[in-house]
Amino acid sequence: MFPELSFNIDHGYLEGLVRGFKSGILRQSDYLNLVQCETLEDLKLHLQSTDYGNFLANEPSPLSVSVIDDKLREKLVIEFQHLRNHCLEPLATFLDYMTYGYMIDNIILLITGTLHQRPISELISKCHPLGSFEQMEAIHIASTPAELYNAVLVDTPLAPYFIDCILEQDLDEMNIEIIRNTLYKAYLEDFFNFCKGMGGGTAEVMCEALAFEADRRAFIITINSFGTELSKEDREKLYPRCGKLYPDGLEMLSQCEDYDQVRTVADYYAEYKELFDDAGTNPGDKTLEDKFFEHEVKLMKNSFMHQFQFGVFYAYVKLKEQEIRNIIWIAECVAQRHRAKIDSYIPVF
Amino acid sequence: MEGLLRSEEMTLCQMFLQSEAAYTCVSELGELGLVQFRDLNPDVNAFQRKFVNEIRRCEEMERKLRFLEKEVKKDGIPMLDTGDNPDAPAPREMVDLESTYEKLENEMKEVNANAEALKKNFLELTELKHILRKTQTFFEERHTDVPCSEHVQYNQLPYHGTEMLMHAEHHHPQAMHDPSMSDETMGLLGEELPRSGQPLRLGFVAGVILRERIPAFERMLWRACRGNVFLRQAEIESPLEDPVTGDQVYKSVFIIFFQGDQLKTRVKKICEGFRATLYPCPETQAERREMAIGVMTRIEDLNTVLAQTQDHRHRVLVAAAKNVKVWFIKVRKIKAIYHTLNMFNLDVTQKCLIAECWCPVADLDRIQQALRRGTERSGSSVPSILNRMSSKQIPPTYNRSSKFTQGFQNIVDAYGVANYREVNPAIFTTISFPFLFAVMFADMGHGMIMFFAALYIVLKEKQFGARRIEDEIFKTFFEGRYIILLMGAFSIYTGFMYNDIFSKSLNIFGSQWFAPAEPFSLATLSEFKKLQFNPNETYTGSPYPIGLDPVWQMAQNKIAFTNSMKMKLSVILGISHMFFGIALSLLNHRYFQKPLNIICDFIPSLVFLFCMFGFLVLRIFHKWVAYDSSMSQKAPSLLIGAINMFLFNYRDEHPDNPEVYHIPGSLQGFQCFLVVVAGLCVPWMMFFKPFYMRHQARFGQLAAERLRRARRQLEQPNVFENNRRFIRGAEEEEFKHQPLSVQSGDLLNHDHDFDNDQEVVHNNDTSGHLHQEEEQEEPFDFGEVFVHQAIHTIEFCLGCISHTASYLRLWALSLAHAQLSEVLWSMVLRIGFSSSGVGGAFMLVIVFMFWACLTVAVLVLMEGLSAFLHALRLHWVEFQSKFYSGTGYKFQPFCFDQILDHSADD
Repeated sequence: MFPELSFNIDHGYLEGLVRGFKSGILRQSDYLNLVQCETLEDLKLHLQSTDYGNFLANEPSPLSVSVIDDKLREKLVIEFQHLRNHCLEPLATFLDYMTYGYMIDNIILLITGTLHQRPISELISKCHPLGSFEQMEAIHIASTPAELYNAVLVDTPLAPYFIDCILEQDLDEMNIEIIRNTLYKAYLEDFFNFCKGMGGGTAEVMCEALAFEADRRAFIITINSFGTELSKEDREKLYPRCGKLYPDGLEMLSQCEDYDQVRTVADYYAEYKELFDDAGTNPGDKTLEDKFFEHEVKLMKNSFMHQFQFGVFYAYVKLKEQEIRNIIWIAECVAQRHRAKIDSYIPVF
Repeated sequence: MEGLLRSEEMTLCQMFLQSEAAYTCVSELGELGLVQFRDLNPDVNAFQRKFVNEIRRCEEMERKLRFLEKEVKKDGIPMLDTGDNPDAPAPREMVDLESTYEKLENEMKEVNANAEALKKNFLELTELKHILRKTQTFFEERHTDVPCSEHVQYNQLPYHGTEMLMHAEHHHPQAMHDPSMSDETMGLLGEELPRSGQPLRLGFVAGVILRERIPAFERMLWRACRGNVFLRQAEIESPLEDPVTGDQVYKSVFIIFFQGDQLKTRVKKICEGFRATLYPCPETQAERREMAIGVMTRIEDLNTVLAQTQDHRHRVLVAAAKNVKVWFIKVRKIKAIYHTLNMFNLDVTQKCLIAECWCPVADLDRIQQALRRGTERSGSSVPSILNRMSSKQIPPTYNRSSKFTQGFQNIVDAYGVANYREVNPAIFTTISFPFLFAVMFADMGHGMIMFFAALYIVLKEKQFGARRIEDEIFKTFFEGRYIILLMGAFSIYTGFMYNDIFSKSLNIFGSQWFAPAEPFSLATLSEFKKLQFNPNETYTGSPYPIGLDPVWQMAQNKIAFTNSMKMKLSVILGISHMFFGIALSLLNHRYFQKPLNIICDFIPSLVFLFCMFGFLVLRIFHKWVAYDSSMSQKAPSLLIGAINMFLFNYRDEHPDNPEVYHIPGSLQGFQCFLVVVAGLCVPWMMFFKPFYMRHQARFGQLAAERLRRARRQLEQPNVFENNRRFIRGAEEEEFKHQPLSVQSGDLLNHDHDFDNDQEVVHNNDTSGHLHQEEEQEEPFDFGEVFVHQAIHTIEFCLGCISHTASYLRLWALSLAHAQLSEVLWSMVLRIGFSSSGVGGAFMLVIVFMFWACLTVAVLVLMEGLSAFLHALRLHWVEFQSKFYSGTGYKFQPFCFDQILDHSADD
């Protein structure tokens, strides 16, 4: 009757853990210190005084940005795996759902890579470890979507999402993009329904987060499709139908032909209007992408306000990813001595 | 006495260290471990500090050492821990150390790379060996099948194999004549089936794959090739070593038969995807045998080379292992020194570093000496200077402790670190803690087990300490060995008083009760199971010399008797403990010169506690002394008496019955007086202090104080001017430091003069930021003071009642402990005694073991833990709340030993 009453029996420890992890997320003052760094060694020294601790201690200098990236990601992955290994149902399914997104990215990365004749070992190292699965490395045997499905994906949890994209066409750039977005659409809708079925605080928080994710994808797909050969009908098929834009907004988006029309669609929705209003392409303005990220960070921070729900796990991973993006951005700026734009990270706390 | 009662007197000092001497001075201070440095650059980032490069070099060295240590551990070479503690090397030696480590690391890496390459080679050869051996069996199965007809052979293949072959036959005959066969896709069946006239040529690849990947691999092959391949696999029994990680992994040999080029590329891709390694495998048996022989010889060659590489690696590591610990200590010391130097300020001329530190006044001489040694070692001609400064900041609390008092100090500190110079209850805890514990744990036998266990650890403490046992539970016991020792000793004593040894009694002096022959003839004794003793007739009149009379052990009403005694005892102990706590608060008030607190806190609380419970204690003693067994009916009831006292209820229930206790009239009046006085104490405590303080704030001394301060501020400009002159002087000539910096030796003698004379001895850089930290006098806030006092009053008054009740746990736990041990005796050990004969002896041995284990596990360990926790609570809550605020912060000196201990744990 009240799932909150018994929540702590199964998930209390992990929720406490993840809230503890959250307090290790870098704060504004840390970023202020980080942007002052002159070299990557400085960056390492400062990160040592944060929750990252000695994560770079065993790396011989000189450091490179990619090493930092790997180590940052490794830390997140270790934390996530720890949570995953200690959780019970339904949290286990929930966490698994979170990894599907990475799986989709990995598959697309591998297919695109093989399309461009890159060696598979080089591609594998670029894959996100959270989204790795057993059959992943053999993905390059597939040359058509049907083959991909039959040989590789049928055993993975992504199989049901793939049903919609089995076409007897060759894999080319366009098709890959379509596959990615169709997969994502199916994944988001499935995840959305799963969270909705959970009810309680989880549904409240996660539906909000996933709806935003869906709408963001819809906007981005629309904007990116201008000037490509993607037809309006095809485009409409790619919109995830679990956001706030569904159904009217998506209908309107599918008819859009340029950026300004997208903007008019966004104007009907208060929270998106704000994002589009502040975004710009002029130097000094924040890009639409950054605005979306900012909004996401806000949503994720809010999800920590609710207790007894799974949204915190999702939120933690998302916030941590944002933090990794920030650190990498700063590290790149430091490494390339390109300090003009170093401040355009998105602070979390 | 003063040293034990209060924390050390501390002082804030300023150090002027010549740049070249700073390193050696800090190194000496680190060895000494008596100085806590303050961070003078809290706003500066870690990477913007002065010695950040040196720290980075240290970290790099540490990384190399960790690498070496890892390699040493991997090879299982024991690392020598000689326990020597080298001094921190001079900064110029850092380069040598760095190059040594660098060389070692490179050598190690090279050796590792070689070994890895060799091992990889070795692995490949071993895998090939296994492939040749296993495929041999696959092919042999085929050979035995050869005489049979083609179809039989097909039928013996697993389902997909069959399908594949059929498929091949019917649909792709052209593939069978595929000319472009590479060396590993040999015609397999072609030679073997010459008479069938169908040149069915199948290709195959052989390889090795991780065993756990086999199922997925097989499934993927089946799906991707639509069942047109045939996989055979066999497990390699012995694990193989992974050359990169050095882990032992299990692998399987597989061989895949397929047909056609398209399938071949596909199969190869899958193999690549699953990280299977493929090896060429010749088709004929002769070739395979030849290859196998070649492989075997190569493996043997490799083995010798590998052994030599390992030997070399071992030699290098053994040499390194001798020094690794010492190197670690050196590097960590250097790093700690530079970290400390980073906290210092650079003076304007860049010639000297300025440090601020807390140090105990009593040790200023030793610090001074350390500085002198440091300066000498660096060869600098200019001495380092130590200045005492006056500061309004609260100094850290530094309690000196020996290994004996450390455990008790930890108990106190766990509650809260004492305020600076507050009465430190640790010294009293050394006795009261084990005593209160023992009251609850009163049993001579269990006490002895505890005592001797602790005695063993204490006697062997050097050996145990040297072994550095990491086990957390053992560590806890080891740290608390003296506490346990005392607890055991006191338990023996209280057990003796309660006359309890494993729930039995000792009859040492002879019981003072006897059974006179008159009513207790043998006949009556054998007739009745229970007999009642009248104390007036069967008691000699003089008590058992010490402790409880053993006769009670047999009495039916033993519990009723001991309960009454133990309850009264715990109330007496508790009230005395609390009185003692209040008395200690007097020491605090006197030391901090707060007469107001004596009048408004100490006296009323003392009076209140006496009126409420002190009187009760007196009545307990009165009852014990004044009433003997002959007039026990007339003895007053303490509980009813106490309740009636507070209710002013002196109605006589049985005015005519002389057998019942009647309160005398004079006592009635006195009791009323006590209750009224106790009642008056409450408003006294609650209102007097805040109102008096308000009065003072308006008209009294505080105003006068403010006036005085204002006058002093008028004089202040002089000091500032003085200071400014000093700064200007510093820029011009260095020796102008001299007039303001006073040798600490002089300061020791007349530090009060110093305080008055030189209010500010700050350097330019630090003064601004110090002034910020010095708090302004807070304006008097009546509401806050009043609320605070009200809370304190209510807490104390309610606390008196609840705390007294809380001390009853002394009785309750003692009762529980006694009962539990009695149950264990009567339910367990008695079974052993009940049977006789040889079987009974065996039985007794078994039962005794059982009983002994339970005694140690339940009665000594578990009950001991529970009594420990209750004693802890009685000290923290009931005792320390009377006088101890515990809001100070601990003195954490810069000390190499601690730093090394700490980093060794990581």
